[in-house]
Parts: sequence; structure tokens; C-alpha cells
Amino acid sequence: MRISSQLVASLSRRALLAFPILFVTVFLIVPLALAGAISFWQRVGFRVRPAFRLDAYIDFFTGVRLFVLERGLVVAAEVTLVSLLVAYPIAYALCFWMRRSTARLVLVLFTLPFLVNYIIRTFSWSWLLSRTGPVNAMLIAAGIVDAPLDWLLYSDFAVMLGLVTSYMPFMIFPIYLALAGLDRRLIEASWLLGANRVRTFLRITLPLSMSGVFAAIVFGFAGAFGDSAVPIILGGTGYQLMGNAITSTLDVLNYPLAAAMSTIVVVVMLALLACWYVAFDLQAFLGKILRWRF
Amino acid sequence: MTARSLGRSALWLALAAVLLLLYLPLVPPFLFSVGVGGPTAAGEAWTLKWYGALAGNPVLVAAAGTSLAVAAVTAVAAPALALLAAMAVRELRMPRAVLMLVLLPLFISGVSMGLATALFLRQLDLAPSLASICLVHTLWALPFATLIILTTMAGFDPVYLEAAYTAGATRWRAFRDVEFPLIRPGVLGAASFSLILSFNETVRTALVQGPLNTVQTYIWSTYLQVGLSPTLYALMSLLILLTVLLLVLSAVRRRAPQSSSGTRSAGSQPTTTSMAPSPSS
Repeated sequence: MRISSQLVASLSRRALLAFPILFVTVFLIVPLALAGAISFWQRVGFRVRPAFRLDAYIDFFTGVRLFVLERGLVVAAEVTLVSLLVAYPIAYALCFWMRRSTARLVLVLFTLPFLVNYIIRTFSWSWLLSRTGPVNAMLIAAGIVDAPLDWLLYSDFAVMLGLVTSYMPFMIFPIYLALAGLDRRLIEASWLLGANRVRTFLRITLPLSMSGVFAAIVFGFAGAFGDSAVPIILGGTGYQLMGNAITSTLDVLNYPLAAAMSTIVVVVMLALLACWYVAFDLQAFLGKILRWRF
Repeated sequence: MTARSLGRSALWLALAAVLLLLYLPLVPPFLFSVGVGGPTAAGEAWTLKWYGALAGNPVLVAAAGTSLAVAAVTAVAAPALALLAAMAVRELRMPRAVLMLVLLPLFISGVSMGLATALFLRQLDLAPSLASICLVHTLWALPFATLIILTTMAGFDPVYLEAAYTAGATRWRAFRDVEFPLIRPGVLGAASFSLILSFNETVRTALVQGPLNTVQTYIWSTYLQVGLSPTLYALMSLLILLTVLLLVLSAVRRRAPQSSSGTRSAGSQPTTTSMAPSPSS
């Protein structure tokens, strides 16, 4: 009798612990899989009917939208690279040149603008970068340019800036975590063995922080590749990345095509995630998270 | 040595410049909301009338109600799920897979998540509602909440759980009286983070909102339909202020969590009180 009640308790405990897994599976994995399935379905008027058709993919890969995919990939890669070049030195300085308490405070400073709705921040950029905005006014006042620059707004530059400022702050965190979890005796050992700072960084610090770097890459790429608001606000009329191309496809109620494009975005991200999962020991990374205090 | 210190000052300068670049966009909404500079200048002195106009907009008042309700649900549901997820990471057999699954919403772009949920609801013949908005917000906040709770849990020594079991406590009792008081700062941090994330979410919401509006989707749809206005800037300013306030409050709470976590379980578990500072140390 006692054993069975223990069994019930243990089972109910397991069920409770499995609940978040179930939640994500039912409300995220299943919907994503369904969207993947619907991308093959047949479009009948404004509704969809289960079928196996490649219409949506043929439509996408033979039409002008293929250019959107190409541009989306290029822009996301550029944004990720630029963000990484900014985020890595910041994470490095926070980790090695500051006391932990100061570093934590600065991390909160980076969290705040990340949390404020990025669409609101992007609206601000559209004014700051406009022909009559303060950036152009300052450039003219400083005598750097004679006339307002046109390429500041509604351009690749503006979209890049908007995306980098939206997603870069959060990329600092995984890199900082990886660096903070690094065994510093390895760095000292490298110095003792006569390696200079650059060599130590390239052979010890950088390789050991790659799990965090890759996590940051996946996060930044996911954000930039799927973003739908920045290209609308800062790209100008007709500037499309995958995100707003999907919403504009939805506006004309072409569900299979929207589902196909969304699935392409998701598959690219899952492929990147799978690379991370295979290449880096998440548990080792997790160990570093666990040792780190917010 | 001087070259190095020069390099360092250059890096500090770069850090300040990056922070400036990130904080700069928080300023213009405040200027426009009081009628200073920018497109609404027209030479008049500053005014607060646009803030007053907010309360008179019934659509906006309803949207604020929805936002509050969704944020409240998210701030409870996400930390609760995250707490279970964090324990599952610790106790189930495949911590890597469990963690990856729970962190997945972080890597799925907003449009894809919103679209998938919308299609899912359509296929089940469920109308978009408050529940569907709460659902996507909880999913979006879950990874952040889980990471925060996991970091706090790391400061908790499982030896105290074993001590509780040895003293005859059931698993539930040990959790309630020993572990939870100690990880409470993390759970509260997760709750405030979820609240802030929910209040600032647009893209996912816009695809599953149905006839409802949140404050953020109201701003977005008004921008798409008629463009930005001083009233809208006033609304954005309030949202920025609210976010800053919530984050500062939760940061302050986290600085001094001992005062709240130590007192609750006095008496039967004296060790708890003495151990209270450990999660924040």
C-alpha cells in the first residue's frame, strides 16, 4: 500500500515536471509542424485543403520572392557579423576588466534598451536618420557634408543599424557567460609558457568561448532573418526581408505560401541550432550558466 | 604599458558610444509627446495635452486593459512553467534536450511563431482571443524566465534538500519550506522579466490578436494605417517609462533579496534563515 502511494507520488511528480515539455511541444512544435504541412496544402479560394502540392514552393523559388530570401540571408549574415564584432569586445571587457558587481550593473544597462519595444526604438531611428533629422543636421553643421545624406534612411544602412541595435544587446549575454565560465588558470598557463596576449587570446580564450559565440550567432541571425518591423519602418516602400514578406503574403490570404516562407525561415534556424547542439556540449555551457549569477 | 592603457581607454570610449547608440532612440518619443522639435514643432511651447488625450480614446483604454490582463497572466504562467522546466532540467534524464526545447522560442522568429499559432488555432476552429495572446506571450517569456531561475537555482546547495528528506520532509514539503524561499528572488526576477517582455511584444501578438488590441499592437496598426502622431508618441513615452520603472524595481529587489526570503520559514527550518544570502551572493 505504502509503495503504491509512493509510486503515485513519483509519477505525479514526473507528470508535473513533464508539463513544460508538453506545453512547448503542443503549442510550439506542433504548430510549427502544422505550418510545415500547410505549406504543401492546396489553396482553394481563401481556404486551404489537405493535399500534397509543391505549388507554394514553386511559386516562391521561381518568383521575385527568391530575391527576398537571398537578401534576407545576406542582411542577416551581415547584421550578425557586425553585432558579433561589437558584442564580443564588450563581453570581453565586462568579463576581464571589470569587477563582477560592475559587470552585472553594465549588463543591466544593456538589458534595458533591449527590453523596450524595438518597434518604438525603430520609429525613433526613422526620425534621427531622416533628411531633416539631427544626424544630418549635425553632419552639415560640422561641415562634413554640404547637403543632407539620402542613404541614411530607407536604405540597407538604416535596416542594418535598426537590426544591429535591436538584437546586438542580447548577444552580449551568451558570450559573457562563456567567458565568465572559462577556467582562468588556462590563460595563466599560456602566459607562463611564453605565449603573448594575442596568441593566448587566439589559442585559448577565443576557442573556449566559441559555444557562447555560436549561441549569440544563432540568436542574432534568428532575429535579423525573421524580423518584420525594421524593414517596413527603415527600409522604405518595397523593401522586403523574409519577415515582412510573410506578413504581406498573409495580407492577401495566401496561407500555403506564407506557411512555406515561414517554414523556410524556421528550417534555416533549426539547422543552425542543430549545428550548435552537435558541435558544442550544451551541458558544459549549461554548467557555466549555472555557475553564473545574474 | 601606456599603449595598453591607451587601448583600454579607447575600449571604454567605444563601450560608452555603444550605450549611447542604444539609449539614443529612447529620447525622441518624449520630445515629440510634449510637442518639442521634430515633425510636430510648429513653434509652439511644450504641452502635456497629448497625454490627456490618451485617456479619452476608448479603443486605447480597452487595449490597455487587454495588455494588463495578458501581462498579469504571463507574469504568473511563465515563471511557474519555468520553475518546473528548471527542475526538469535538474532531475530528468536528458537535461540537454529539455533545456534546448524550453529555449527554442528564443530562436523562432516572431512572425513564424505567430503564424504557426494562428494556423494552429484556425485548424482547431478556435477563434483568436485573450487566451491565444497569453499563450504566445508565455511561450516567448518562457526561455528568459527559465534562464533566470536556473541561474538562481545554481546558488542553491541540494544538500539542504537531502537534509530536509532525512528530517522526514516529503518532497513537496522540502520544496515549499526549504528550496522555494531560497530561490524566490529568481522566481520574482523571472516574473518581472516576463511582465516586461509581455508589455513590449508586438509581432507575435499581431498575428493572434483577433478583434482584440494590446497597447503595442494598437501603436503598430495605427502606424501602418495613419502614421505616427503626438498622441502615439505620448503612449510610447509612457511605455518606455513603465519598462524602465519595472526593470529598476526588479533590479533593486534583486540587490536586497535577503530581507524577504529569510523571514518566511522561521522556526522549523533554522538553516533556511542562515542560508538566505546564498542565492544572491
